[in-house]
Amino acid sequence: MRDFHIEREQRGAIYLLRLAGAVDMYSYARLDEQVRQLFSQNHHRIILDCQNLDYIGSAGLGSLVGLAKEARVHGGDVRLLRVPERIYKIIELLGFTKVLQVFHDETEALNSFAS
Amino acid sequence: MATTADEVWVRVVGRGTFQNSQPLRRFTLDRMQHGYRRFTVDVGDCTGMDSTFLGVLAGVGLRLRQDGRTDARVRLVRVGQRNLELLQTLGLDRLLVVVQETPDEPAGGLQWEWLPDSDIESLSKPLDKDETTDLMLSAHDNLIQADQRNAPRFQTVTKFLRDSLERRRNQPSSQ
Repeated sequence: MRDFHIEREQRGAIYLLRLAGAVDMYSYARLDEQVRQLFSQNHHRIILDCQNLDYIGSAGLGSLVGLAKEARVHGGDVRLLRVPERIYKIIELLGFTKVLQVFHDETEALNSFAS
Repeated sequence: MATTADEVWVRVVGRGTFQNSQPLRRFTLDRMQHGYRRFTVDVGDCTGMDSTFLGVLAGVGLRLRQDGRTDARVRLVRVGQRNLELLQTLGLDRLLVVVQETPDEPAGGLQWEWLPDSDIESLSKPLDKDETTDLMLSAHDNLIQADQRNAPRFQTVTKFLRDSLERRRNQPSSQ
């Protein structure tokens, strides 16, 4: 499994974080920290591009739920983009798709914040 | 898995994940109900374990600890460096006996059998939502019970799983 890394892009008021590798019980803290850093700069509209994500564990999923809730308090959200099917099946099975919005298309995800 | 007169042996080949944790949980519970108190888990060919799988192993360790019998134990053997770090991170090295070496097999050898439905590449039926949620919840509760330092790591996910399980159980039946 590849090491976890994050690339960050700003698209207007939205931050797009491209995730690659595995969000496991070690690396989830790095993702959490990156997003919270954006929160601290008053950026609460975040899209996580999961196209190159190999794995996400329980700690990572818990962190995403917490981050999304916190972003919503400030009028933003943490939304997921291009979640690989094997990961989607898991998060759907466990009900996480009820609290985390998932998009297949980048433009659609970016536009979702406009509505 | 293999069973001798007084010990249960489990060999994990490939990944130990939430997908094959349920058969392991059922098997170990069944063995404990039959009086077994000694478990050896060989993880030498295990390429990774997720928190649910480790939580199931922790559950066995916690149950045995409750029994208070001095001969009871869960022993993990042929533990590689990465798995060792994982066990230490979760504090499970203080609940389970962790051995990096290859243990001696009992005299007469072991008759290994595949644990049904433990091969994640060929599961016979799709995972059940409530069963999987319950499994993950109890596994993560075990991890927190085993070491309170795991609480910040898993408390959001356990709260989410507990709430969604509760919600589904309180939903009126559609029939």
